[in-house]
Amino acid sequence: MHVMTQMQQSFSMELPSLVPLQLPSRMETHLWYVLPNEVKSTSLLKQFYQLLSPPEKDKVLQMRGDDLKKNALLARTLVRTTIARYQKNHAVDPRTLMFKKNMYGKPEVDWQNYKNCNNPPLHFNISHTDSLIACGVTVHVPVGIDVEDKERKIKHDVLAFAERFYSPDEVKFLSTIPDAEVQRKEFIKLWTLKEAYVKALGKGFSAAPFNTFTIQSKAGTQGGYNLCKTSEMSVNSLEKTKKCLCNEEWKFALLELADSHYAAICIEDDQDSGGAPMKVIVRKTIPFVEDELISENKFL
Amino acid sequence: MTTTFISSISMQARVSASTTRFSLKKHVSIFNNGKTNNLSFSLQCSMPARLAVSCAAKQETMEKVSEIVKKQLSLPDDQKVTAGTKFTELGADSLDTVEIVMGLEEEFGITMAEERAKEIATVQQAAELIEELVLEKTA
Repeated sequence: MHVMTQMQQSFSMELPSLVPLQLPSRMETHLWYVLPNEVKSTSLLKQFYQLLSPPEKDKVLQMRGDDLKKNALLARTLVRTTIARYQKNHAVDPRTLMFKKNMYGKPEVDWQNYKNCNNPPLHFNISHTDSLIACGVTVHVPVGIDVEDKERKIKHDVLAFAERFYSPDEVKFLSTIPDAEVQRKEFIKLWTLKEAYVKALGKGFSAAPFNTFTIQSKAGTQGGYNLCKTSEMSVNSLEKTKKCLCNEEWKFALLELADSHYAAICIEDDQDSGGAPMKVIVRKTIPFVEDELISENKFL
Repeated sequence: MTTTFISSISMQARVSASTTRFSLKKHVSIFNNGKTNNLSFSLQCSMPARLAVSCAAKQETMEKVSEIVKKQLSLPDDQKVTAGTKFTELGADSLDTVEIVMGLEEEFGITMAEERAKEIATVQQAAELIEELVLEKTA
């Protein structure tokens, strides 16, 4: 009885209005992140909970442990409030946003409620770790992001892991790194780049098994990455060889967030971009409370 | 404190009726060398009689899976894990899931195709795939 009263009281709390945002331009990604440790207010969390749809609330409750529940709550809140702000002139009510999944399970905005409005062709993707929740937003082009704690320890041998799941060229690259700590970090960076690509593709895991493509640094550039897809080619009737074919359709960026995480972003390349590096605007946020533009960004 | 709010919404979840996810639930208490195992598995024994033997084997498989999952996610031994527990509910991300798969492959001497491995979401699904691959191996 007491708990129900608490919930009903929350309904009568006024939700502050969200500050509207300008859309990203073409070939630009907006990256938003929340640090769960910075969100301590119980009343604020209650307000966040009220924004969620019933299925989203269920999912939050199913998480095992208070920290996991809180992070699940923050993740949905970040998605709803961020997208709600990118509407012309004024933010829409984040509670009214609806989401659906594409046929492979990738979440997207369902604009059916807004048939008469000029809906921006927004794309988004989220990723989270224990200590950071991120949401990437683009217009016109699909986006995938992945974040990992820089200090994340891999429980298996890094090379054994790579041999099992990564491409041969990536294994070669990792095996040439003499220092184990540097090797672990490069492994994690590669993981985030590969995950970001698969998520940007949005066709599920089987569309791009990790060992069928290679991501490597572009020589002579800072922050540029190449994607190569391995395909089998017949050399003659007896021999087959694997060839790595460069793929120009996707752009990558890898950066450090909050000094603690690697964040990889992958977007579909607009052929008009002329090979220019991805522009990324990074902002740390607490929904309804504050935004902080991160002007100095460390691209890797 | 934030924990009170989270705890209060958890309490509400327990008060309201929860939807049953599995049909044909049978609760079986598992005894292991005389001591009560603190894992309880609801067995879905909905398969034909000739495969009933593999139903019993699944308990052992599920226990091993559970052990490997807890180790990967650094969960305490007394963390309650059931057949239907989703790895994501325990806090596993995609990297954890892949490491869990590696752990399972090592433990059972099998290889899981990446597409199938990434589809495993619960302890039960992992156990079923393992049983299938072990059967194929010994066939």
